[in-house]
Amino acid sequence: MEKLQNLNVPSPLLNVQSVTKQFLGLKAVDSISLSVSQGEIVSIIGPNGAGKTTFFNLLTGQLQPTFGEINFDGKAINNLGAHERARIGMGRTFQISKPLIALNVLENVMIGAFMREPTMERAKEKAISLLRKVGLLQLAPIKAGDLTLSQRRRLEVARALALDPKIMLLDEVMAGLNQSEVSQSIDLLNQLHSEGQTFLIIEHNLKVVRAFSQRVIVLDRGCLIAQGSASEILNSPEVITAYLGEGHKWKRS
Amino acid sequence: MDQILNVLIIGLLLGGIYGLVSIGLNLIFGVVRIVNFAQGELVMLGMYGSYFAYTQFNISPYLSFLVVAPLVGLIGIVIQRFVIQPLRAESNMQIFATFGLLMMFQNIMLMVTKGEAYSIGGESSRWSLSVGELSLSVVRLIVFVAVTLITVGLHIFLNKTLTGKSIRAVTQDKLGARAMGINVERTYLLTFGIGATLAGFAGAMLTPIYSITPGVGGNFILAAFAVVVLGGLGSVWGAYLGGLIVGVVEALAGYYIDPVLRSAVWFMIFLVVLMVRPSGLLGMVGAEEVGFREQN
Amino acid sequence: MNKTKDAADTLSKGGTFADQAIDADSSKLIETPKSLSFKYLGCMVLLFLPVLLLARYPQWINIVAFTYLMGAVAVAWNIIGGFGGQFSLGHGVFFSIGAYMTAALFINYGLSPWITIFPIALVAGLVSVLISWPTFRLRGPFFAIATLAFNEVMFVLANHFDSLTGGPRGLMIPFKAGFANMIFTERSYYAYLMFGFAAFSVGVSVVVRYSRLGYYLLAVREDEDCARACGINVLNVKLSGMAISAMLTSMGGTLFTMYLRYIDPPTLFTMSDIGVKFALLSLIGGIGTIAGPILGAALIIPFENYLRTELSNGLPGSNLAVLGFLMVLAALFMKKGIYGLFQEKYGKANKPALPTPMSVKPGGGAT
Repeated sequence: MEKLQNLNVPSPLLNVQSVTKQFLGLKAVDSISLSVSQGEIVSIIGPNGAGKTTFFNLLTGQLQPTFGEINFDGKAINNLGAHERARIGMGRTFQISKPLIALNVLENVMIGAFMREPTMERAKEKAISLLRKVGLLQLAPIKAGDLTLSQRRRLEVARALALDPKIMLLDEVMAGLNQSEVSQSIDLLNQLHSEGQTFLIIEHNLKVVRAFSQRVIVLDRGCLIAQGSASEILNSPEVITAYLGEGHKWKRS
Repeated sequence: MDQILNVLIIGLLLGGIYGLVSIGLNLIFGVVRIVNFAQGELVMLGMYGSYFAYTQFNISPYLSFLVVAPLVGLIGIVIQRFVIQPLRAESNMQIFATFGLLMMFQNIMLMVTKGEAYSIGGESSRWSLSVGELSLSVVRLIVFVAVTLITVGLHIFLNKTLTGKSIRAVTQDKLGARAMGINVERTYLLTFGIGATLAGFAGAMLTPIYSITPGVGGNFILAAFAVVVLGGLGSVWGAYLGGLIVGVVEALAGYYIDPVLRSAVWFMIFLVVLMVRPSGLLGMVGAEEVGFREQN
Repeated sequence: MNKTKDAADTLSKGGTFADQAIDADSSKLIETPKSLSFKYLGCMVLLFLPVLLLARYPQWINIVAFTYLMGAVAVAWNIIGGFGGQFSLGHGVFFSIGAYMTAALFINYGLSPWITIFPIALVAGLVSVLISWPTFRLRGPFFAIATLAFNEVMFVLANHFDSLTGGPRGLMIPFKAGFANMIFTERSYYAYLMFGFAAFSVGVSVVVRYSRLGYYLLAVREDEDCARACGINVLNVKLSGMAISAMLTSMGGTLFTMYLRYIDPPTLFTMSDIGVKFALLSLIGGIGTIAGPILGAALIIPFENYLRTELSNGLPGSNLAVLGFLMVLAALFMKKGIYGLFQEKYGKANKPALPTPMSVKPGGGAT
């Protein structure tokens, strides 16, 4: 487990203490504690059903924890609704991306931009600059329903960026992409990171985890079972067992 | 004291009626997850059907239901197959479609009956049983017994039989049930059929009590929604209990305030439950996804 | 728009030409007030033609007036029902507030409806916020049922408080002709009045749709969780949309009262005639579009009138049975309405070519 933070280091951006979510018969998230510092990239991995998305939902406010505290940017946010959490700087994408298919790409990003820029003109400018940043500007007039999967994912990221977030929570943003799309996306995320963005991502694609994480957290059946650097985690027998069952080894990648 | 007891009894018997009408709706709600606005019209069809059997063939509703109820059930299956099923992903369109069915059924019957109200009337509807100083209407007592029996029967069916269990599986987890090999579409058809049959049965049982007009279904549908919400989605005993509570509250409100304000009573119940305890008294997990949600 | 195809081609040759093209053209990406104004004026001219042509024939005036009135309220319903996705079946409540208050203030205090129409609309807006605030937490069908229940409760209250509403006997407005009273001896003026209201209603709808609120309503309709993640206060957005919709609907009720000069609970609260009608017109015409509901009204109201006069005399209820059947058909086969059918036919011709994914890179640079 991580050592206690040095008192000279500023307090973490996101600090989660013993957060638990109990449904009637099931503890979907069991006493997870974790912290993410400004500028870090932390990945969450784990087998299906481990509670990763539920955990995200607790962070961003779609669900209320049964127990535990969530602190963001120095404030306790348990009582804040999901839209307020977006306002204080939590940007998020969803596993099933749902852009407004009847509107064009520009308008989709504008919907995010409106939060910080209430006028149409300024929101449009902001959306244009973000589309340029993620490489979708040429698609601005296209209806979101006509985009490919990788373009939709990028659109989601642009929309989340429009909130000027302090942290980006990405839920399986690489799912379904082919190799070259994945590496283009990693390039984009790296660029954003170099500009100071903090990331907490859920990822299944271990190549991505290896290429784009500083710290990795493993969940299984709602519990945090391991935490460490990417190479530590991906070679740990515990984690391999959790993912694949007894007696397996990762294939050489 | 006697007065209150009388009012309570009336309320309980009324509750039995509401429970009977709601039980089919509750099943459909809980399983197929749709709001069937036309449920009241299915009851109405049951009433007209058993009236027809009575006037044409002299068969008592307490016998003719054996034919009338399954016939209404068949209509239900047709509705599910051709109207509801195609719209399974679009709950807003379902509202339109079932409301359109409501308008169709009501007005077709209006065309057929030319607006006359029918009533079985006669002595039998006025029989009453004397218990101490209270008098209980026999026909309503029969309804009360019927709804109790049906609730028990449905409970056994859902918990002890394989078919019933597969219905409950679909209620709880559609994807999981499909993964287990349960044919979800067929389960929907079956459930709608049962729900419609129960509506037809309710209609038959209510024929001796109410006068039959094309709009009679509308009388029940709001109360039925209040019952289902109060009792909790997918819970058979919830519908039973909910019916009794709605009946009693309505009787008390009618006695102390004004009988005309019935719909206000149902609506109050509806709202209060949804705000205080959205899953209803005995509702199931997952009720949240259908129509309720945690506070923003 | 061939610009996109050119842009993609140029991109693959290496250059940021595409971005400059987009920047220069950014005004074409979304509707601007100027482009909207043109479209709106064009639309109004089209709408005015039937009035111009038919208002001189007494037998047409009634149909024209009703069509525009119902169409206008359907446009209002569409703001919360179509843009916002909240299927209210209780708009009859706001309609009746407009109707009853206008009548009561006119009969008892001689207040001109031209003056009272707006304050009454504010009242309706307030009521809408009060009753929607608890019910908006309900999803889809349950919200619809709750609004339906409101309608029923209002019906009961209207019958009950007869000192205010005239109870079951209703209220009758005496024929005191005069422009200030909104009572015209020249019947064709009503047709123009209703057209004016329709123009106003469509105007409001346009302003809402292309404002931040409009975009937020669409986002809420599409996916509420996603909307929240964009910082949208979903409840406030719904309440705002509902308030605007309710205010317009109430204004429709005011005009309805002064046109018919007789209102009673059955007239105002029969679901099939009022409550559901607005939703139905929007559905047939094109839910979520701006002019769709008027189109729906133009199709349904005259048709329904025909059914009522031709069939209903022999067979009461047949007009509603047909309407119900149409509703089922529309829900099953015509979800996007007539407008949607048009869009499909003509929209395909205009679809721009997509640049290939490979040519798109972060930072907007060339491949």
